[in-house]
Amino acid sequence: MLRIDIHAVHPNVTLRCSGRIVLGLEAETLRCMATSRTENCLALDLSGVRTLDAAGLGLLVELQCWATRGKKALRIVEPSACVRKLIALTNLQSVLQVACHEKLGGVEGPAGATSTMDAERTMSA
Amino acid sequence: MPEGHQSVEQQAISREFTFPGDSESIVAVRESVMTFIKENGANEGQEIDIFVALQEALANAALHGCQNDRAKTIRCWVEIDPSAFTLIIQDPGPGFDVAATTTADPSVNTTEHGRGICLMRSLMDDVSYRRGGSEVRLRKLRDFPRASS
Repeated sequence: MLRIDIHAVHPNVTLRCSGRIVLGLEAETLRCMATSRTENCLALDLSGVRTLDAAGLGLLVELQCWATRGKKALRIVEPSACVRKLIALTNLQSVLQVACHEKLGGVEGPAGATSTMDAERTMSA
Repeated sequence: MPEGHQSVEQQAISREFTFPGDSESIVAVRESVMTFIKENGANEGQEIDIFVALQEALANAALHGCQNDRAKTIRCWVEIDPSAFTLIIQDPGPGFDVAATTTADPSVNTTEHGRGICLMRSLMDDVSYRRGGSEVRLRKLRDFPRASS
């Protein structure tokens, strides 16, 4: 299961992910949610991600390339210990923009519009 | 044998899972395998490592070994003994060039694919292939000492 909470304050957006980013519905959901955003600055908050697999890591690389091509800024913020470990094992720290212990100014907070999509609910629909 | 004594063989347990070779089917099986492993003593760190390695092995079996074909069958055996968790995943495909994956360029992979075997080898204590690559054996050692009696 992957849950994604969206906190948007133009021109920034944070996609707060919790659960797993793995091959299948979870990775596809995050791909669709991220690439449909029109904001120029995207943050993927992975603090609640319990694990991800090679498809999840590949998706992070894909989204980084997508952002670069579209002249957008994309950062991975507060990756969980598991995500940090897997990024390090695959040497992706040099490819991905990763920020730890850092909040993006103006992106989060009570003023941000919030919507939620539950991948598990989508799967059972 | 003294009362209360169990040999290593007696303590070992195993289970077999057989399921269709498409990516949708592996989700339910993955959860069943992980439940079996959690119920039999994996700690959180071992559980996450095994989950990722299992996910990669199942994905490779479904996507490459079965071409995502529900009519084909994947078999998975899980054996748990006092020293390790062992998982064997077998698909009906032709296998692949295992040697090519061990001589791959170790520099950073900036593409969107090709990290599965690297992850399995990094997270498990032993990864070996048989049947020309259509069977992978994953072994994760337990990190606590065996009971002496």
